[in-house]
Amino acid sequence: MGQRDIVSYETSVRRKSRIRTASTMCRLDVESDVKGPEQHGNALPSSRYMVGRGVKRKLSECEDQMLDLPYPQQRQLVLDLCLDKLQSCQRRAEPSLHRSVLLANTLRQIQREMRQEGGPHHPESPPPAPATPCHSPELPPVPSDRPSTPVAALSSSLLCEDDDAQSTCTELPKGPWSEDVGKLPDLLFGSFEITNSTSYLTDLQLDDIFEDIDTSMYDPSDFSVLACPPPRGSSGASLGNDYNLKAFSTCTTSSSTLQMCLNDLDHIMEILVRS
Amino acid sequence: MAGVAGGNDFQWCFSQVKGAIDEDVAEADIISTVEFNHSGELLATGDKGGRVVIFQHEQECKNRPHLRGEYNVYSTFQSHEPEFDYLKSLEIEEKINKIRWLPQQNSAHFLLSTNDKTIKLWKIGERDKRAEGYNLKDEDGRLRDPFRITSLRVPVLMPMDLMVEASPRRVFANAHTYHINSISVNSDHQTYLSADDLRINLWHLEITDRSFNIVDIKPANMEELTEVITAAECHPNQCNVFVYSSSKGTIRLCDMRTAALCDRHTKFFEEPEDPSSRSFFSEIISSISDVKFSHSGRYMMTRDYLSVKVWDLNMENRPVETYQVHEYLRSKLCSLYENDCIFDKFECCWNGSDSAIMTGSYNNFFRMFDRNTRKDITLEASRECSKPRATLKPRKVSTGGKRKKDEISVDSLDFNKKILHTAWHPKENVIAVAATNNLYIFQDKIN
Repeated sequence: MGQRDIVSYETSVRRKSRIRTASTMCRLDVESDVKGPEQHGNALPSSRYMVGRGVKRKLSECEDQMLDLPYPQQRQLVLDLCLDKLQSCQRRAEPSLHRSVLLANTLRQIQREMRQEGGPHHPESPPPAPATPCHSPELPPVPSDRPSTPVAALSSSLLCEDDDAQSTCTELPKGPWSEDVGKLPDLLFGSFEITNSTSYLTDLQLDDIFEDIDTSMYDPSDFSVLACPPPRGSSGASLGNDYNLKAFSTCTTSSSTLQMCLNDLDHIMEILVRS
Repeated sequence: MAGVAGGNDFQWCFSQVKGAIDEDVAEADIISTVEFNHSGELLATGDKGGRVVIFQHEQECKNRPHLRGEYNVYSTFQSHEPEFDYLKSLEIEEKINKIRWLPQQNSAHFLLSTNDKTIKLWKIGERDKRAEGYNLKDEDGRLRDPFRITSLRVPVLMPMDLMVEASPRRVFANAHTYHINSISVNSDHQTYLSADDLRINLWHLEITDRSFNIVDIKPANMEELTEVITAAECHPNQCNVFVYSSSKGTIRLCDMRTAALCDRHTKFFEEPEDPSSRSFFSEIISSISDVKFSHSGRYMMTRDYLSVKVWDLNMENRPVETYQVHEYLRSKLCSLYENDCIFDKFECCWNGSDSAIMTGSYNNFFRMFDRNTRKDITLEASRECSKPRATLKPRKVSTGGKRKKDEISVDSLDFNKKILHTAWHPKENVIAVAATNNLYIFQDKIN
């Protein structure tokens, strides 16, 4: 006959980062009673761990604090949580597209509300692209187009709201976050694909590829064309980090090459005219 | 079948518990799916470590007919291994997301098990005889020298100790770009569907290198993605009908005869939102985590975060029944959002006669609703209530100010002890409840 009893089986796979026991996850208080078979069925253990993942201990505390706040602050709290979670999405051991979509929707909803309330106070303009002189050796970051995504618009509306009288809005931390927010849904949702698809290139940070290139001769606006992903079905199979420059060249469509040539000519004409 | 709430006829009592006792739970041991087969004789569980354990119902003792037989281990095997996607630097988990049994057609049993990416068809067969007396090899398997053989004999089948073997018969791979959340065997017993976040594929059980895409909700521009598929199931009788639920709380019923790609639904089920209960989390808690047809095929049940709804397939604008699972959590949604519990995916199940439904909650509580009497009961799966044949005491969560004796307050609930997976025997009042790494089996008390 086969086994009759289960003894706790040896786990064949244990990865260090993923062992999370129930005790370390949530036990913030030492349990005073040890659960044992001798306990009566009627008696409740005197202490229970309440909330998982080591966050707030008591449900009621958070809820009371939350409900006491005026609505805009409640909303801000939820917004902050949302952004935190979206940012940490990539770092999770088990990324979930479902979760990310729900978070993004909540974010959009709040942003929509805030925009309606904000009304005449803030323009819909995108965050101004960091100004860079033409001949700077450093490649400027790709200027984000007008916010095509609600999430990008969110970043812009939040940045603009700093000037508002509304002091309750906390400033969106600047830096890599505000630049990435525009690309956030794409990166987030795009990175959930499991199989080795040719969409590899869409996930690349194309900015990083260009950092090494000496761009002193070119107009920065040329590079906005290169931010587009390659056409599907392009041979992405053999690409790795070493071949970034090759990718760069295969990226460009024929129209952008033409544009670059034209800009070359313009530049040369300029020099000629000036002299 | 009589009612489920502890009344005159049935009282739920503890039968067995499987799994380790100690507090330190190894993540690989966490049970991720539970499923009875069509006769109820076998009970399969899958865990996060990619293993499948099948329990078999032992025949009742003839001497003591009042004792129901127990479930004991029948077979254990490693179904899925962890994989690594080198291009994305992502691990593909070996966790078994779903197990579905095929209807039994011969002495062997077949089941489909799936992780995030790959579905496998397993054959579980018994061997209780072996051939002895081969001519070309010894009893221990060594080959004989053919020149030494002077006479021939016919091998004889001799009984041996029962051996249960599980072997993978088909591997259905590389058809899903996103994480598989559901599989469902069709009533034609030849095809099955598999659903991931954005697509549903239809397979033939014999063909592994091809599948048909029947639903695709991926937008051309991923930035426009606002909805994902959360569950899908084939109709129990009509092999051309299936449903899928979404993260926006809607269910679409599709008929495969209408088009090859069922992007346009035949029926669309959605309950209009109650504006008075709108909050920041309304959409998140409306996301449907499970959808199950009734055995009759007339109804379907959906589970969202706070409730279970029963829908009549002929009425699309609202459910016919709504049961609150843990309404006391509605005022705690912010905390549950903060600690991520709001994203927990609870499953639900029908009993064999469709008169009752069951679903899980927190603190190792699970709830049962009798659709006829409208009574409901909350029970707990815990080691404390695990004396053999001990009747389970109904539990109550106190919502108001004063906590009565034996009640537990909302703030004392353990949100790490969640019952996500439950299963009900298709014919008898036997239920299997997965509490983290333990499997509890409860039965009705035979008077």
